[in-house]
Amino acid sequence: MNGLTGFVLRRVIGAVVTLFALSVIIYVVFYVTPGNVAQITCGPRCSPAQVHQVAQQLHLDDPLYVRYGHFLQGLFAGQDFSTGTSVEHCAAPCLGQSYQTDQQVTDIILAKLPVSFSLVLGAMVIWLLLGVGTGVLSAWRRGRFSERVLTAITLAGVATPVFVIGLVLMIVVCGELQLLPFPQYVNFTDDPEQWAWNLLLPWLSLALVESANFARLTRASMLETLAEDHIRTFRAYGVSERAVIARHALRGATASVIALNAVTFGSAVGGAVLTETLFGLPGVGQELVHAVKVVDLPVVVGMVLVIGFFVVLANAVADVLYAVADRRVVLA
Amino acid sequence: MSEALVTVEAAGTESSVPAASGARQFWRRLRAQRAALVAAAVVALLVLIALGAPLLTALEGQDPTTYHPSLIDSARGGVPVGSLGGMSADHWLGVEPQTGRDLFARLVYGARVSLGVALAATVAQVILGTVMGVAAGLGNRWVDLVLSRITDIFVAMPLMIMALALLAVVPGDFPRPVLVALVIALVSGWSTTAKMVRAQTLTLKNLDYVAASRLSGWSTWRTAVRELLPGLAAPVITYAALLVPTNISAEAALSFLGVGVKPPTPSWGQMLTSADVWYQAAPQYLLLPAGALFVTVFALTVLGDGVRVALDPRAASRLRVGTGSKREARAEQAAPQAGTRARRQGGAKTEAGKEDRA
Amino acid sequence: MRQTSVTARRVAAASVSLVVAAGAAACGPKDNDAKGSGGDSAPHKGGTLTVLNSQPQTDFDPARLYTSGGGNVPSLVFRTLTTRNRENGAAGAKVVPDLATDTGRPNKDATVWTYTLKKGLKYEDGTPITSADIKYGIERSFAPELSGGAPYLRDWLAGAADYQGPYKDKKGLSAIETPNARTIVFHLDKPEGEFPFLATQTQFAPVPKSKDNGTKYEEHPVSSGPYKVVKNENDGEHVVLVRNPNWSAATDGERKAYPDEIDVRSGLDSSVINQRLSASQGADAAAVTTDTNLGPAELAKVGGDKALAARVGTGHFGYTDYIAFNPTVKPFDDPKVRQAIAYAIDRSSVVNAAGGSALAEPATTFLPSQKSFGYTPYDPFPAGTSGNPAKARELLAQAGHKNGLTVTLTHSNAKDFETSPEIATAVQDALKKAGITVKLQGLEDNDYRDKIHSVKTEPGFFLAHWGADWPSGGPFLAPIFDGRQIVKDGANFNTGLLNDTSVNDEIDAINKLTDLDAAARRWGALDQKIGEKALVVPLFHPVYKRLYGEDVRNIVISDWTGVLDISQVAVK
Repeated sequence: MNGLTGFVLRRVIGAVVTLFALSVIIYVVFYVTPGNVAQITCGPRCSPAQVHQVAQQLHLDDPLYVRYGHFLQGLFAGQDFSTGTSVEHCAAPCLGQSYQTDQQVTDIILAKLPVSFSLVLGAMVIWLLLGVGTGVLSAWRRGRFSERVLTAITLAGVATPVFVIGLVLMIVVCGELQLLPFPQYVNFTDDPEQWAWNLLLPWLSLALVESANFARLTRASMLETLAEDHIRTFRAYGVSERAVIARHALRGATASVIALNAVTFGSAVGGAVLTETLFGLPGVGQELVHAVKVVDLPVVVGMVLVIGFFVVLANAVADVLYAVADRRVVLA
Repeated sequence: MSEALVTVEAAGTESSVPAASGARQFWRRLRAQRAALVAAAVVALLVLIALGAPLLTALEGQDPTTYHPSLIDSARGGVPVGSLGGMSADHWLGVEPQTGRDLFARLVYGARVSLGVALAATVAQVILGTVMGVAAGLGNRWVDLVLSRITDIFVAMPLMIMALALLAVVPGDFPRPVLVALVIALVSGWSTTAKMVRAQTLTLKNLDYVAASRLSGWSTWRTAVRELLPGLAAPVITYAALLVPTNISAEAALSFLGVGVKPPTPSWGQMLTSADVWYQAAPQYLLLPAGALFVTVFALTVLGDGVRVALDPRAASRLRVGTGSKREARAEQAAPQAGTRARRQGGAKTEAGKEDRA
Repeated sequence: MRQTSVTARRVAAASVSLVVAAGAAACGPKDNDAKGSGGDSAPHKGGTLTVLNSQPQTDFDPARLYTSGGGNVPSLVFRTLTTRNRENGAAGAKVVPDLATDTGRPNKDATVWTYTLKKGLKYEDGTPITSADIKYGIERSFAPELSGGAPYLRDWLAGAADYQGPYKDKKGLSAIETPNARTIVFHLDKPEGEFPFLATQTQFAPVPKSKDNGTKYEEHPVSSGPYKVVKNENDGEHVVLVRNPNWSAATDGERKAYPDEIDVRSGLDSSVINQRLSASQGADAAAVTTDTNLGPAELAKVGGDKALAARVGTGHFGYTDYIAFNPTVKPFDDPKVRQAIAYAIDRSSVVNAAGGSALAEPATTFLPSQKSFGYTPYDPFPAGTSGNPAKARELLAQAGHKNGLTVTLTHSNAKDFETSPEIATAVQDALKKAGITVKLQGLEDNDYRDKIHSVKTEPGFFLAHWGADWPSGGPFLAPIFDGRQIVKDGANFNTGLLNDTSVNDEIDAINKLTDLDAAARRWGALDQKIGEKALVVPLFHPVYKRLYGEDVRNIVISDWTGVLDISQVAVK
């Protein structure tokens, strides 16, 4: 598998370069973003002298390259932070400390990632079932009532912003019908059952947004396989339609569905901002939006890198899976 | 987007390269799909409404910015007075809570902004993506490497975050709708378009007639314009049709995060954002923009699929396999021309704008 | 100025504003529902009170909290030298003793304040609370590591301006003396009759030096109040408080501490909080919020439901939303132009944009309308509720703008319904009738704050707001209109750049008064005098309405915080 090794190596190098470039861009963008970070950190009524002290403590007066140097130093060698009464060491790879809350960025990310994973994993199950199911039905039973209903549902998911779907679902299901409790994140390790019940609506909302893509991809791949010559041959030999669909057409769609799934998963880990905000899930996306608003550079950079890592990883995984499943694609 | 998916997306169109008589065939195949035709009519109607907004509101006798304090109940949070959200002969769709502004006027003027922003963003994405993709595909190894890396960075960048940051950097008096369109275009969509175009360019440039053009000493520029662009048109248009609804949703999401188009300019996204909490007290305030958005995205998606089918001759023959659909059979008759070897032609929709809808 | 009751993400602090409003103080006839609340059953001990909040308790360190009167949830854990009187309405705007035996004994010119601690005060671990701990708590609030509090200690304590806190400067503050374990003496630079108000802030909570671990202290602050922190997850997102066995009701006349446990959940969407309180199922039946008001849409729904309406607490926090002018920018250097705008304003449409007449009261005075602020009704530019465009045109013509005027209104893009686009648009619509064309300049929130609070970049015409640090005219008027508080190289709040000797002298004179009622009357008079200069156009005072769960009893809403006092709440 020399080709595969080389491919993986190229992807890894490419990913590292991409992530570093991303961190530089974020530093530059936030350097020119309005908002006096020291004043925000210190509080609106701080005197100029106090603001200056805070700026010194956070190295905010240093030139951009020096601050980026601090960031790299933390990443490779670790950093020390003063709590006032003692010195805390943040071991490499250290992504720094929040300007606003004095928490270490790695700790923040470790606290938020399980929430985002919980949300996206559950939603993934639903979008796969709903999306692939709709896709199969629309390829197999074109024009039937069930197909139309499912297609309309998935398209409605795309066409309606999640903050509308989610809120209406919540008002109806939790408020008026009282079928479910209002979502409130519970750790999986604390209570798996409550974890699932509380996440059910967020899963549904997020899955509705994504499932149309899967429906469309499944349908297209299946139709294409069904049009191939060997399928016609099977049909001609009297193989049942059900068997054709299940054994051949669906299998033909698997590779691309897996690839799309990896990519969707990767981007949703950090990208489900609206779902997290609406349902009050303390995940990566919500924290990141907050950090951007208060110009909390270390948190922003750390989180963007982690999210970027998942996107890059997911894309690579998609390519490998795709290549393994379908020999026709040449690894480039 | 992963390269595998981009390949999926781009593949299957090689047969449509000789595009000389393409336009006529395209129309013939598009016309044969009833759903796509209906969708096209709906989209055309929406565009007409957007363009004719001043005319329509003049007909109603209202405008989108005047306050009507007498039409709302201030003591109850500003809920519209009267049934159905204050619908009347004067205010066809009722009035907005808290201000009493005319909802019909806001809706049709909102169409201008929402459609305008989405189309402008799509055009920018297509241009930027095509230029970067063709340059990477035709350039030497280093050009390709650098451009592909830049593209990757934008793929990995979380859209919302960059949008929030960029919108904060740009001066407040820059025209907001233009800015929103640019930001949507810059941080999403173009990078996946570029990847797709690059992959397509790599395929095309080895075809005989393109290779001949390059060998005969014509400049890269001329090769790109004369030989490549016609071949790229089909996949790019297909892709663009799918980008438009994504961009409409992106505008709504930016509004929700507080960085979209600013009042008093109405947009659907901005209406939805202020309306979602009114779902119980004044449902029509939410349902109107939500319905408009739904119809638009639905129509654009159906139209996009239709365009793809019309551009890809293989798709038509493929459609025949669906169980018992006479309509598709007709489509096939209308487009009897067979393609070359079947290639995977998935509809993997772009990841662009994924996060804004989530 | 800000009142982030619980809130105080330092950030929110940044968000200067006062964002998180506070809640509901009963004022006038409106406080009926506040007092009633069930009435059927007397409050009793026990149960768990749930708090549903939008902002996490990111700062739980007494040094960094910026709260009015010690905050809501923090006040369950931190006792201070003095505290606010936990009663409905105007009585609740009074300051009362907490750890101290009285509200403070001033010397003749109110520059030296002496306090004696009550006997038998203990921390959660049973160790005694001493005056040295209170001194240490104040000192550490000067450390740049623990920034975030209000500016008054630094401004008032003698020789404290450049103090950098006990971590860098072990000598401590010479302005605070602790002659014995129960006595503490404060030496001020100038007379400050309102020192007892300042002593309600959490910086006056005792911190045992041996337990101080700097920025980590907020993870487990040592309790002096009826509850202690047993859980603090994700930096204040989920906080659980249980009874502090070493707190004694005998030494604390203010906090009732009925529930056994307080469960604070934050990071929730504000519309979800209101939905949950309105549905009131399960644990939500015994839930309150300390940072989320009812919005106009929710109010419209509540209005049609009697049972729900009975579960709304209404209050007034000292707070004013207004238009600010920078008189060094043309054409606002001309008082006639400013007056014309004051006449043209349609307060009813502004009130509607802010949520309607139930959530905002039109304002013509800069001071809030509660008695403790020295509220004196006046309207220097009377134009009715919907403005007087004719009068405005007349003034504009006199000022040489016969054919109208085009101006730019700067506002924030934050969705706060205070300085946000909705309010700006309402102003724009109203001024149109007076021939004034308003161009809107909406800035991202951080940009907006930087611009309006810097004398170098301050725009001529913008939306602004101000909230009370405590219920008195002093912290309301001085930062905005005292010429000596103009800050040239930092955050400036005197946006009208007013430096009028007679105003400055009157502020000094009132600060000498230790009779707070007499002071209040003079603040009211001063407000009227400043109002005539048309440096600001008051728009509205917000009204806070908040839902609480079905099983919640004993709702007390003071004019100080304007929100239900969590230390008084009982659950069924």
